[in-house]
Amino acid sequence: MEAQFKSPYALMLRYGLLSILAFIVVCPLAWLALASLRPQSEIFQPVSEFGWGTFIPSRLTLDNYRALLASDFPLAVKNSTFVALMTVFFGVLVNALAGFAFAAFDFRGKNLLFLLVIASFMMPFEAIVLPLYVMIRAFGWANSYQALIVPEIANGMVIFLFRQFFASIPRDFYEAARVDGASWLYIFTRIAMPLSWPTIATSGLMLFLSQWDSFFWPVVAASNPDYAVIQVAIARNINFEQSDWGGLFASTNLAILLGTIPFLLIQRFYVRTLISGGIK
Amino acid sequence: MISSRWTPFLFLAPALAALLIFRLAPIAVAVGGSLTGVSLMGDLNFVGGENFHYLLTDPQFWSSLKITLWFNLIINPLQLAIAFGLAMLVFRPLPGLWIYRTLLVLPMAVSTGISAVLFGLFLDGNLGPLNGFLEWVGIGAQPFHRSQDQALYTLIGIATWKGAGYWMLFLLAGLYSIPTTVYEAATIDGASAWQRFRHVTLPLMRKPMAFVLVADTAINFLFFAPVYILTSGGPGGATSLLMFEAYRSAFTFSDIGRSLAISTILLGIILVIVVVEFRLLRSPEEKHV
Repeated sequence: MEAQFKSPYALMLRYGLLSILAFIVVCPLAWLALASLRPQSEIFQPVSEFGWGTFIPSRLTLDNYRALLASDFPLAVKNSTFVALMTVFFGVLVNALAGFAFAAFDFRGKNLLFLLVIASFMMPFEAIVLPLYVMIRAFGWANSYQALIVPEIANGMVIFLFRQFFASIPRDFYEAARVDGASWLYIFTRIAMPLSWPTIATSGLMLFLSQWDSFFWPVVAASNPDYAVIQVAIARNINFEQSDWGGLFASTNLAILLGTIPFLLIQRFYVRTLISGGIK
Repeated sequence: MISSRWTPFLFLAPALAALLIFRLAPIAVAVGGSLTGVSLMGDLNFVGGENFHYLLTDPQFWSSLKITLWFNLIINPLQLAIAFGLAMLVFRPLPGLWIYRTLLVLPMAVSTGISAVLFGLFLDGNLGPLNGFLEWVGIGAQPFHRSQDQALYTLIGIATWKGAGYWMLFLLAGLYSIPTTVYEAATIDGASAWQRFRHVTLPLMRKPMAFVLVADTAINFLFFAPVYILTSGGPGGATSLLMFEAYRSAFTFSDIGRSLAISTILLGIILVIVVVEFRLLRSPEEKHV
């Protein structure tokens, strides 16, 4: 089976292709990271002077990052963090309750309801952004934290993850606790939830990332600068012709780094879940 | 099982109520709203098919639809092909392979919006390095998203940079699910590497490939953030994809009815895609070959 790549030429070809592709992926990211450390006077790189200087700054400075402190960026980080953490807290609670119900109980309409849950995460959220906005505005929620948080709490994927986990615990386990007189709420909070911490951690990170990365919904539902989240704040800065390019470099690079850390943390599990959820 | 009949529903209530209100009800609002004239003040009046009538006689809508279809016709097969190539490249063991795998999926960590901003800077004529490089090798600087001819393809490139590694993962899982004995048998029968690829790998990968194509299509029909951030539908309407057109109807022209009519059309397309996706996921193994 190794025959495909047996010859040294095939091996070199494979390494060569992989290196070119990896370079295409990394080059813009590395360029931005280095450019964000440039002094303000070096931001513009004339097209005619291509060379090492295009990538390597003559000296490294944190000026662009320091200047961010005085911009609207700290507010955006605060907004994003608040929105993401609230979504994680309520999202884990609400979706774990539902996942537990699907795993521990038999009830009428269970299959139909579970189908609804699956369908809800197969339909991309973007498809309903505009009608959802019409609803949110009717609720009087336009430009508010509720608008950013509440619609994102219930998450079919997270319900699915919790159901899978709780279903892996033998039902006898729950029933034994029932026989000992425990209420279902007690079983959920004191037995099931403490056991499910890996699922809590991964689904919490998934909810966090989904809020941290969201753009379309915040742009529509909370366009007021007071509620601007990171993605929206940065997108605004590239749209309006402006002079603070260094600040834009720094904030964009920071947003990439802040998104990469949680991603690398859950990468392995996330990938496995994605794949087993997608292809069975 | 010892439990009151209502207990499960108490556990389900918060999540299901939220899914009903924030995922299902908007579909009804889209359909209902597309049949009414909703002014920004919120007054409702039933106008029947009027929104659709205006839409279907509006050349702007037809041009958006055409661009959206063309965009999908290119981007989905392109991403599938690249993702498949990547999966083949990182499938068999190789010293140092994990580094390449990690790097190739790294763009998953960059949000769509930020990747648009990143390339807005990277491709810029004054700030970005790519045009300098193109000058240096003698191709000459390119306008990219600032030109009517290149804008749509620039967006396709950016989305592919971001998406290829993600779709690669699904195809990689598919490759791993092919039993090695199948390859061994083919090798013993004297099949060449190309014949094994053509007659073993490709047929057995049909299902994961179909899944990726369908799921990718659902996402790309709703393509929005890079259009909003980089081109605003321009230049000259070259990138006015339907989702952006729906957004602009509501927020630039205050025409909620038109916006919801476009949303309804997109929802119809997406629902069809989701049904196909469901079929694919549930289809039995004999669909292989």
